[in-house]
Amino acid sequence: MKFLHLVWKSLMRSKRRTFLILCTLILSVFLITILQSLLATLDAVSNKPTEGNRFVVRHKSGLTQFLPISYGEYLRQQPEVLAVANSQWFGGYYQDPKNFFANFANDETTMFQVFSDRISGLTEAEIKEYQRDRKGCIVGQILADKYGWKVGDTIPLTGTIFPMSPQLTIRGIFKGRMASEENTLYFHYKLLEEGVQFMKGKTGAFWIKTKTSDDIPRVANRIDTHFANSPVETMSEAENAFYLTFVKMLGNIGAIIHGVTIAVLIAITIVTVGTMSMAIKERTTEIAVLRAMGFSRARVLFLLMAEGLLLVTLGGALGIGLASLVAKILREILGSALIFLQDFRLANETILLCMGMALIIGFISTIIPALAATRRSIVEGLRAL
Amino acid sequence: MSQPTAPIIHIQSLAKSYFRETLEIPVLQGLDLDIPAGGFYALMGPSGSGKTTLLNLIAGIDRPTGGLLEVCGSNLNQLNDDELASWRNENIGFIFQNYNLIPVLNAFENIELPLLLTSLTRAQRKEKVEEVLSLVNLMDRRENYPRQLSGGQEQRVAIARAIVGNPKVLVADEPTGALDAKNADEILEMMQRLNEEFGKTILIVTHDPKAANCARHQVHLEKGILDKTVEVNR
Repeated sequence: MKFLHLVWKSLMRSKRRTFLILCTLILSVFLITILQSLLATLDAVSNKPTEGNRFVVRHKSGLTQFLPISYGEYLRQQPEVLAVANSQWFGGYYQDPKNFFANFANDETTMFQVFSDRISGLTEAEIKEYQRDRKGCIVGQILADKYGWKVGDTIPLTGTIFPMSPQLTIRGIFKGRMASEENTLYFHYKLLEEGVQFMKGKTGAFWIKTKTSDDIPRVANRIDTHFANSPVETMSEAENAFYLTFVKMLGNIGAIIHGVTIAVLIAITIVTVGTMSMAIKERTTEIAVLRAMGFSRARVLFLLMAEGLLLVTLGGALGIGLASLVAKILREILGSALIFLQDFRLANETILLCMGMALIIGFISTIIPALAATRRSIVEGLRAL
Repeated sequence: MSQPTAPIIHIQSLAKSYFRETLEIPVLQGLDLDIPAGGFYALMGPSGSGKTTLLNLIAGIDRPTGGLLEVCGSNLNQLNDDELASWRNENIGFIFQNYNLIPVLNAFENIELPLLLTSLTRAQRKEKVEEVLSLVNLMDRRENYPRQLSGGQEQRVAIARAIVGNPKVLVADEPTGALDAKNADEILEMMQRLNEEFGKTILIVTHDPKAANCARHQVHLEKGILDKTVEVNR
């Protein structure tokens, strides 16, 4: 500890240089942390934990087209199918367009079988009360907490896609596995059909639960074959693949993020190596003086390494802190518009990865000039004025 | 006032060569010299005579290529790098021509540096640093950084740093070379005091006859060979 003061003073030798390299480190670590966290969040969305035996049937042409609700009869007849829930993204907001969150019109009975992993914590009585009340809805815990809602409250929802603004009564508050699941509201599908003329007999998708996950490829293939060459063809896909279609809309995000990360890493390594080399080289005489005083090579190496590592630790910690702050802001501001951002936070693995990368950069950029400086003879160092 | 006693520096057939690729350049050749504890020696000679090399060897910052070199009871040839570093910290105090203070540390912190390698507590270090600051009359400048000190003051800080660990031997390479006459006199007086009152063995390399006359002995080197040793009548 008695050397910490010396290390700190040496680091602050050129305040401008230290400030600039620190800013570079902070920005680089921030960028890498945010990008890697974004990738991790997208991965989590596309690899969302499911019950394994759920898949979705949608219009072959895309998510904005509807399927006849009558298709549900055929789906239910399949021997491997346990339950079918028709579902439609409603896209409404609460009071103000800023209060946007996920809201769906779903089959009020089968949804509890199909999404038993996503919706939990409701009592039998609450479920029955919801199913009984055509204008009832259930909301996730996070959403209820955010707006201070409780069971029995009336929620006016203003449609943005459909010309309908239902007044819904909260009949239950459920728990989910992820923040995005608890930021959701469900109401009766029949209410949508009644309120929107063109939706009568139509649905955006069918969610299907099979007896086993092994059944999915067979049933999915059978369904798509059955409706092939009909006026409305279907596209059946696993739940994760369905989420992935949203992600793929953004292009090959993974390759772009990894590319940018590598470019930033290379750039920051070059900058840090240059800075540390310069910082150590200009102290050649000082290092010789320290060694003449009795500081061993190992001790001087330790001091120089401590200086480099302290710099990257500071830069890394501040960069991660900044990323954490920005992640929170993104979650709060854009979370309602981009659902996957509701679960956007810095994973411990990402933080460790970024901190580790920062330390490796610090180590590499310091060890080379530090070794060169300590290997130089004292006499040679004293001459280097 | 301490009297010179048994040799604290014993040099026998000392040789030092530098190598430029395969070419051997001898700097010191078969040098014999004994310096008693408490002695004050000035190493003199023309440029290239080997006086700084001899000083560096005695101070343990360079290695001889041959001969025996015993300083403060240790055969320096037998010490490895780490042992030699520790030995320097305990036995040698350096004073450089350009002071070589660490610019980011203030006077107090510069002087404290050699003590960081010891097991002294912070309070003990503070006590020792203040003691030497008083000795060099710089108590009021303890918080000043090197850039805020005059050349003479910087050299006094360097002297304080050299003596704070209470080394037996002080080595100084042209200690007055960068100072004006007044400051040079002050530094030389201080070195004489350290020799006479505190019994420090002092070796200085100098071209300055005035500085050389402050020593008790002058060692003249010529082309790496000991030419003569002269006692100074002060």
